[in-house]
Amino acid sequence: MSLLEIRNLWIEFRTPHGTIQAVRNINYSVENGEILGIVGESGSGKSVSMLAVLGLLASNSVIRSGEILFNGKNISPLSPEFKNRPDLYEKTMKDIRGNRISMVFQDPMSFLNPLLKIGTQITEGIICHTHCTKAAAKKQAIDLMKSVGIPAAEDRFDQYPFEFSGGMRQRIIIAIALSCNPELIIADEPTTALDVTVQAQIMDLLKKIADERNTAIIMITHNLGVVAKLCDRINIMYAGDIVETGTTDQIFYEPRHWYTRGLLESIGMNIGSGRVKLPSIPGTPPDLLNLNKGCAFMPRCSHAMNICRDYKPAVSQFNATQAARCWDYCKDRADEIVAQQDKEETLQ
Amino acid sequence: MNDISPLLSIRHLKKYFLAERNVFKVNSYVKAVDDVTFDIMPGETVGLVGESGCGKSTLARTVIRIYEPDEGDILYQGTNISHLSTREMIPYRKKIQMIFQDPYSSLNPRYTVGETIAEPMEIHNMYDRETRMEKVSSLLEQVGLKPDHISRYPYEFSGGQRQRIGIARTLALDPEFIICDEPISALDVSIQAQIINLLEKIQDEKKISYLFIAHDLAMVRHISHKIGVMYLGHLVEFGDAETVYNDPLHPYTKALMSSAPVPDPKTARKERRIEFRGEIPSPIHTPAGCPFSTRCPECRPECRIAPPVMAKQSGRRVACYKYV
Repeated sequence: MSLLEIRNLWIEFRTPHGTIQAVRNINYSVENGEILGIVGESGSGKSVSMLAVLGLLASNSVIRSGEILFNGKNISPLSPEFKNRPDLYEKTMKDIRGNRISMVFQDPMSFLNPLLKIGTQITEGIICHTHCTKAAAKKQAIDLMKSVGIPAAEDRFDQYPFEFSGGMRQRIIIAIALSCNPELIIADEPTTALDVTVQAQIMDLLKKIADERNTAIIMITHNLGVVAKLCDRINIMYAGDIVETGTTDQIFYEPRHWYTRGLLESIGMNIGSGRVKLPSIPGTPPDLLNLNKGCAFMPRCSHAMNICRDYKPAVSQFNATQAARCWDYCKDRADEIVAQQDKEETLQ
Repeated sequence: MNDISPLLSIRHLKKYFLAERNVFKVNSYVKAVDDVTFDIMPGETVGLVGESGCGKSTLARTVIRIYEPDEGDILYQGTNISHLSTREMIPYRKKIQMIFQDPYSSLNPRYTVGETIAEPMEIHNMYDRETRMEKVSSLLEQVGLKPDHISRYPYEFSGGQRQRIGIARTLALDPEFIICDEPISALDVSIQAQIINLLEKIQDEKKISYLFIAHDLAMVRHISHKIGVMYLGHLVEFGDAETVYNDPLHPYTKALMSSAPVPDPKTARKERRIEFRGEIPSPIHTPAGCPFSTRCPECRPECRIAPPVMAKQSGRRVACYKYV
């Protein structure tokens, strides 16, 4: 059984301009102690799918379908258990959030409360979830601060966030995330706001946590350098869909989807200096309000075919770990897929 | 060094900001830019890299006199522009333009694209109204937008398109020198390459010089002819892009290069990062000697006494006692 398994998750946002399809029918799983990278551009649905796991979606969002299995238990608000019991859902999520699944956010400057001492902010979660004494929580908090590499932890326990640098604040946030020994940490662009030198230190820390505590980490990022160094497996997202999934080596050395290929070329993996034109993906990310019926990447794809416009490609599984959603690999099943989608459309 | 004279020379430039004044009326300063010297040749791109707070943006803003320099000279084609009056600066403002980091806040939301791009030409009384509009259309085409975008407002565009509008605005005055202050860091990965290609195309066509500030080391390497590495307001290494990248000499440059994540899993697994101790010191209480001495893995006793001066060493200039 996987630690977290997401099945057919579909999330929409109702806006005055229409319905935004933020996450469209995604499937994936995370195992214990594994670091999974989720890579995609802004608006590709990478953060939204994670917020849904924690039940932190904005009020104008709708989960249209899908199951979120955490240790085999369905924690989606749509599950039969919670469907008519929002109070029970909220209570269950309170026990999970910060305790069994915790989150590290992007901006270390705005996550911490500037009016509370660092120590108070770390012990808050420990006291809330374990009901231990203040003194015991303090001892645990100082141990945590030491384990994430904060020097003079005893003195720093009573300091305020403004007395910490950006990298140190991110370490504090990681300490808070670790405070209840979670089984899963969701890290949403944890290093984007940091300098490269500090980023490298935080990456080492996350790697250490996954190795030593067997904690699973979902790393949401758009930085391919970060995933190359840190992740075991990668999901590539585009316009709310996982277009390719595979191990880090498969994604980097044998990419199948044209978007993955374009992305890897455009970051200049193989370019040095000199006036070589950088390969780039033409066009801009799609408008999620008006997605075309077929493959969302079609308008920017250099290998698009006629079928890509009108029909969505099916997932092609290449081996145990790698799969992609592209018509290039499911052409031979075209009749079947087209018939299926025509049938679905008439039903709607 | 060679026959062509530099377009812009920066000589011992210093910019200090008053941080606090204690009860004995002794001032302490943030030394944002401290004794920086380098040249930019016509048609050349100089990349500036360094961590946040190292003074890259302050340096750029001092060069175009958004900030007044405290000491040192800025020579533009041999003319010292560091103390010109606002009126005397006007002709130079036309020649030096700037592209900003955030394409969302650097465009006026109440101006149409046409008004935004035409504004610099109006300010400098260039061309009549009709010619200006023709110029705007041709600029839009040059940066890869459509002429019918002219009457639209910024909110109708994506980040990458807005950055193109910003670039069109800087090109309106036919500048010789453009300062690019992190022009790609707010953009998506697939769009960054498009903007870099556009900047290179413009440079090839118009022989414009760039001062390119960024923290993405791979992109800086790609676009730059020369690279300057800054730390705590000091320029610690300056030289040809390939030389500095392939064989960094200053311990800080080495550490910076080794921290940058390589988008290649096999290299990333093999690579050993050079650890530094501690964090960047406060820019108010900078170390007495070499600015990097508090964190340097190769620090020697003399490093703590006085800051090293830049010396020529294997094809670049480097400020480190190891090479004096």
